[in-house]
This record gives sequence, structure tokens and C-alpha cells, in this order.
Amino acid sequence: MAKIEQGQKGAQLLELAHEAGRKARALGADEARVAISRARGVEVEWRDGQVERVQERTRRGLSVELFVDGRYAAMSTNDLRPEAVDRFLAEAVAMTRLLEPDPHRCLPDPARYAGRADVDLQLCDASQAEVTSDARRALAAELEARVREGAGDLPIVSVSSGVDDDWGESARIHTNGFEGWREGTHFSRSVQVTLKEPDGRRPMGWSYTVRRFQADLDAPEKIALEARERARLQLGAGKLSTGRYTVVVDPKATPRLLGAFLAPISGAALQQKRSLWDGKLGAQIASKLLTIHDDPWRVRGLGSALWDGDGFATRPRPIIEAGVLSTYLIDDYYARKMGVAPTGGSTHNFVWAYGDRALSGLVADVGEGVYIDRFLGGNSNETTGELSLGCAGRVIRGGQLAEPVTEVNLAGHFGALWEALVAVGNDPDPNSSSGAPSCVFEGVQLSGV
Amino acid sequence: MSHVGLQYFAQFGVDEGLLRAALERAMSRGGDFAELYFEHRVSTDIGLEDGAVNRAFMGVSLGVGVRVVQGDQTGYAYTEELTRDRVCDAAATAALIASGQPGQAPVAFHVTPRPDRYPIARPFDDAGIAEKMPLLTQANALAFAADPSVCKVRVGYGDSDTHVLIADSDGRLAFDHQPMARLTLGATAERGGRRESNNHNLAGREGFEFFTPARVESLARKAVERTVFCFDATTAPAGEMPVVLAAGSAGILLHEAIGHGMEADFNRKGVSVYSDKLGKRIASDEVTIVDDATQAKARGSINVDDEGFEGQRTVLVERGTLVSYMHDRISAKHYGVAPTGNGRRQSFRDVPLPRMRNTYMTAGSVPPEDIIRSVKYGVYAASFTNGQVMIGAGDYTFYIKTGWMIEDGKLTRPIKDTNIIGNGPQSLERVDMVGTDFEFDEGGWTCGKDGQSVPVSLGMPTVRVSAVTVGGVNPG
Repeated sequence: MAKIEQGQKGAQLLELAHEAGRKARALGADEARVAISRARGVEVEWRDGQVERVQERTRRGLSVELFVDGRYAAMSTNDLRPEAVDRFLAEAVAMTRLLEPDPHRCLPDPARYAGRADVDLQLCDASQAEVTSDARRALAAELEARVREGAGDLPIVSVSSGVDDDWGESARIHTNGFEGWREGTHFSRSVQVTLKEPDGRRPMGWSYTVRRFQADLDAPEKIALEARERARLQLGAGKLSTGRYTVVVDPKATPRLLGAFLAPISGAALQQKRSLWDGKLGAQIASKLLTIHDDPWRVRGLGSALWDGDGFATRPRPIIEAGVLSTYLIDDYYARKMGVAPTGGSTHNFVWAYGDRALSGLVADVGEGVYIDRFLGGNSNETTGELSLGCAGRVIRGGQLAEPVTEVNLAGHFGALWEALVAVGNDPDPNSSSGAPSCVFEGVQLSGV
Repeated sequence: MSHVGLQYFAQFGVDEGLLRAALERAMSRGGDFAELYFEHRVSTDIGLEDGAVNRAFMGVSLGVGVRVVQGDQTGYAYTEELTRDRVCDAAATAALIASGQPGQAPVAFHVTPRPDRYPIARPFDDAGIAEKMPLLTQANALAFAADPSVCKVRVGYGDSDTHVLIADSDGRLAFDHQPMARLTLGATAERGGRRESNNHNLAGREGFEFFTPARVESLARKAVERTVFCFDATTAPAGEMPVVLAAGSAGILLHEAIGHGMEADFNRKGVSVYSDKLGKRIASDEVTIVDDATQAKARGSINVDDEGFEGQRTVLVERGTLVSYMHDRISAKHYGVAPTGNGRRQSFRDVPLPRMRNTYMTAGSVPPEDIIRSVKYGVYAASFTNGQVMIGAGDYTFYIKTGWMIEDGKLTRPIKDTNIIGNGPQSLERVDMVGTDFEFDEGGWTCGKDGQSVPVSLGMPTVRVSAVTVGGVNPG
């Protein structure tokens, strides 16, 4: 169970949640699920030597899911005046009675709430409350200074930076016995550098860092230089010849390809017959090099949680094991619709089976090909597997990154793409819960001229 | 104070005294102007899945955002408690951006005249849920009846009422009631062990009268047509070729390829590819592009923008020449021009930014069939899902959900799921044929920028882009 001191800190919010649950029942709901949250944060946006914007956020919200006579509806509001909440709940309960029944809508079996891990996830950095306006401005200014120092004759049009931190807490109760409270912080810094080309194009390079704890953030000089280099390396970008290439994908871009690949394993996609992976549980759907486990308990993890959206206690588990699909992500509702046991609809922090080389080593191994460092737009079809994404990066020649290319498009079937995975890097991005490293794919269709 | 004005004051439980007190606090450290944006939004969403209308979501959002602007700099804070103390606290926080002599609160307010672009015949709350539910049941039945291969249907009904009250330190006072009606339908069909799925949606600023039997029928029919179309379709080929865009939702090309680049915040910061193009020729004579807040009942229309200025019809490109950016108040001052009524925001939690409304190209001179006939080998893009752009470099994309190959001037085989990538200014220069068949799209488009979503719409005649990269797959 949650630690004692957390219980005390969250007592006020939990009591508010229980009160809303009691009210819902008094108004005629059989059961209710209540979430109540509040958060505060400050964002400073800096541009070319001065503050562009300072924005303070203080938000709160109440959401109640109602189970009334075998029917289901939900409401959410930020108007927490007691009389407003009472009136809104009464209207919602009355409306729910008019809907058609749904035999699959009910609170989860309380047995699934049990077994919550006794781990201190360390999601809240108390120092957030002491961050001053001056400190945020100084950091934002420093990010710009780091970009400009040593920039030489780089044709910089504009440098902007962002410094953001927030704290939030949330309490959740189910009227059949679930109770949970958590608080967490996030800190982020970002930099954008815009350059001007002789032909009028203004390529922008960016970088960012985001963590639960301030002390874990990447150093300002690291992201400032990354953003500047990303901008500089776009200068003079040309187009690529249409063809099939070996492609090295940057750790910051890999999650886009993984997201398309895993979208069809959700219960909703399966039950609604929109899933390419229907009937593929236990089947080989990707290269043997692809192994991904979910670790919900990573200390200070961006995606860490002790319970999921249904209140189920989280567990580490494999998602893909040597290319074989280990599990679907079926939440309680779709499990009931499908007549199967729920597997949990959420994922948290992915851990891959990593290789032994970072990006530069993979580029050297590949010899000839294309390095993709960003995707732009595009989409994929979870029912059939088609994937078509805009992208840009650099040509790989003689094992080195060579000239930049832009207006490129990557297309194919996302299953075939992950079957064509031939190398996995050892360089996951710590600013992401995806755990994604550099990846190498063979025979990828790229469009250009 | 007009009767309408009093209604808005009652809606938020505020009076002129509170507005003056908060604006005085907001201007306590100086600044060019301060502004209060009160917003109350009530929304209802109802869903059908597996044949039953068995889920509903009701939402309420209420609050006020306070903005203080000095030069290009903005201080912003908001509160969700509309008491005098909390509103004044938010004003004091926003005021920290400024550092000068205290400014004055307005002595009197003058109300911005409000056009009536979306009169409501029947309020949403006048129709109970019992009257809304049959719309979903009917759409579901029509979708299943439209084709025997349909195996799953999901229908969504949405309505929302947003009331805003905007007051600023110049004494400007504006009110608006912005309705939004929306219907969506997703279908999956199964044929010989293969499955395809697709969606369609319709939206407009209307009351409950939006949900006509004709719209419900059209939604179901088009969603199913577009789903079963995919059984015969394949991905397009890869490479650069001519692309003909069908009239209507192809306005997404304008939105991505050039629209965002003409939002004046990017230009005042010098980071748009159009930053030094004002007054210059950027397209052929056939090309006139408008961003329009005035169309009756359109999803992107606004009576007043979120800074209290009347939403206007703004010509961006006139016969090939870039004649105006889209402005908010900060950029209008920066450029020394009048605001264009493009200052929009997602909610009271967000600062206004220059944003598009209904963006379209006006009709040209070429019959659409002649445009298709002119292409030896290329793509005809019929329906779209999404797009994106890099403002500075000009690279943009949009995703073709369905279309056709054009071979020797004829539509031959169906295609699907193919992304297009190009460079905005270059593609605009390459628009070399513009059709006579202008069509405004009734889809529920939503535009994202800086993490804020706002409703927009699009329109387009049939056009030809002489060469652009088609992100398909070649054999082998």
C-alpha cells in the first residue's frame, strides 16, 4: 500500500473524492469511480534576449464515472463549488438513466486492486516549490547564451528557449474499494534555433530535456549545442533519389515507428476489428532483435505508476520477446466485451534488449544508407498496416554522416518494417519513457525525386 | 449595458466593478494593455458502439485568463474561481511581466458590435438526450444497410456551448456565444478475410438544428463508401509526380503548406519561410487565398476573436501576391496594421495566438475534368486525414486517405494511405491549374499549434500541383 506519509498528504484530496462518490450513490448511482486532481506550474518562454511569455497555471478538476441501473456515463468539471457539483452530479445521474444499458460496464473485480508494489517511485521533487521566477529567467537566458557562444558566423535568425516546471497531485477512488493518491513533478527545458539560408528557407533545430527531478535534467550546454547542431546540419539540405535504402533511425525518432506498430495491440482495436494483430498473440510479428518489456516501477521514471487506469496493481511484463507478441493491452471494459481476462490497458516505461553500439557505430556499420533524425506528419493504418511518414536526415556514405536531405517520405507496412530491423543501438533517450534506441532497418522505401 | 451584456455578466457572476478592479491590478506595473477572458463551456458527447447508445460524457469548464502585454512580452495567469480576490490575484501574477508606472483601468466600457454568423434555432439543452440518441441509432442502421460487408460501426455525437466575455484596459468589452455541433462515424468492413476501416465526420457552428436527417444519412453513406473503397485500393507509387487535389477538404494543402507560415507571430519572430515575402508574388495569377471568419455556420467562423475584435474576411494572397498575414493584437501592433480578428485560443488557460479560421482558395478558370485530363501520370487525392508543417524550412505533409491514380488523363486504379511531402512556397508556385468548382468542406477539422487546439475549416477548388513527392511504395 501507499506509504503512510503519502496517505497523510493525500488525505484531503482523497476525502473530497470519497465525498463525491457518496454523493453519486445518494443520488442513485450503484457505483462510481472518482478522480480529483490539482496542479500548478510555471512556463517561461524566452526569445532573442528577453522574456517572450511567462505563464502560470493553477488547475483542478473532478471527474466522476457513474454506473446507474446497468448504464454508464461520465462527467468532468472544474467548477468545484459544492452546489455546482451537486447540481451537475444530479443531472448526470438522471441523464445516465436514459441511456441504453451496457452489461459490460461495471467496476473491476476488487481482487485486481490488490498486490500494489511497495516501491518508492520517487516521482515528486520537493525542490519544485522553491524554484523562483528569477531562476527560470536566468536558465532561459543561459540556454540562449550557450547557443550563441561559439556559433561563429552561423546565420542565426532567432533563438528561443523554454523553462517549465510543474507539480500535480491526484486522488482516485472506486466505490467498491479502490483508493489511490499520488503526486509528481516534471521539469523541462527546450531550445529552438532558426537559421536563414540564402534561398530564404529558415531551418529550425531543436532539443529538449524532461525529467521528474530537476537534478536529473540534461545540462543546458548539451541541449543548446544539440539544437544548434541540428539546425546547422540542415543548411543546404537537398532531396533524395527515390529508392530502397538501409535506414538508421535516431532514438528521438524511433518512437514514431514503434507507436504505429503497437497501436493495434489495444483491446479497443481488437474488439472493434481494427487490429492488424488480431490472432497474432504468441506469433512472430517482428525481427528477433526486437525485445521490449514494460517497467512500471522505474524510480523517477517518466511513465512510472503503481496502478493503472482501472486501478489494477501494475507489474513489469514483456510486450515483445525476440519479435514474438507477448501480450495484448486489454483493459477491464474491453476484456468483458471480448470475454477474456483483462491484461491491463496501460504501458509505462519501456526497456529494450539493447545492442552494443551507439548511433555513430551503427552508421559506420551500415556504410551506405540514410540517417533519419525526425519525422514530419504522415499516418498509419492500424487495421491493415500501411505506414507513410514524412522525414528528413542525412545521407550515410562510407560509414559517415554526409549531406543533409529533406522532403523525404518513408513508406511501407509497419509489420514488414519491424521484421526488417537488423540492428538495435545501446543509446536510449533518457528524456522519453519509450526506451527507444537508434534502430537500423533494411530495404526501406524512401521517396524523394 | 444591453440586455445581452447583462446575461453574460450573470453567466460569470461578475460586474463592471470587478472588471475594473482586476484590470487596475493587472496594469499596476504598467504595460501596453491588460485583458480578461472569461469562458464557460458546457459540452455533451454521446457514443454508440456495437449497436447501443450506451455512453455519454458531460463536461463543464469555467475560468478567466488574465493577460498583460508590454511590447512583445506577455504575462499570463488564470483562475478557475471567479471571486474578486482570486481574479485580482491572477491579475497581479500576470502583471509581473511589466515594470513601469501603473496604468489606468478604463472608466467606461464600450461593447464591440457583434455580427450574428451562427444564430441558434434550437439550443442544445432544449433537446434532451432522448432526442439525441435516435440520431446515433439511425446513423448506425444506415451504415450497416449501406454495404453488407460492414461489421463494426462507432458513432459519436457532440455538442458544446461556449460563452465568452472579454474586457480590456482600453475599455473594449465583447461577448459571444459559440455553439459547435459534431457527428462522427467510424466503420470497419470485412471481405474475404480482409478488413478495412475508415471514418467520416461533419461539424458546424449551429444549434441542435444541425443534426438533420440529410446530414445523418450523408455521414453514414460517405463513411461506408470510403471504407469499402479501400478493398480495391493500394498504396500509391513513390516519387515526384503531378498531384491533382479534389475540391473541398484538399484545403488542407493551404492550411499546412502556406497557412501556418502566414500567421504573423512566426513572421514577427523572423522564423517563417514567408517572413520577407509580404507584397511579393508567391503564386500564379490564378491563386487567391482567403482566411475567413465570416461564413455562416462554418466550424472555423467567429463573431469576435478571443481578444474581442471582430472576426474578418482576410485576403492573404490576391492573384498570386502575398498581401496580408493573419494577426493577433501583438503582431498587428508590431507591423503597424489593424488586427484581423485571428487572435484565438483553446481556452481561458491559454494565451491567444494568430490562428486560422476557414481557409480556402477561390475558384479559378479551368473545368475540373480538364485538370484530370491534363495529367499523363500522377495522383488524384480525394480525401485526407491530417497534415503538418515546419514553419521555417517550409516542409509540409498531408496524408491522403483515399484517391486514384491518373494515367493518360483518366482515373484508373484506387489508392489509399499515402503521405505527400513538399515545400510550401515551392508547391504554391507549382499550383498551375485552378478549377471552377470551389467546394467548402463541412468536416470537423481541428488545428494544433503550441499545444493549443482550435476548430477550423477548409475549402478548395480542384487544383493541380505540377510536381510534389508522393510517399508511396514502388514494386520490388
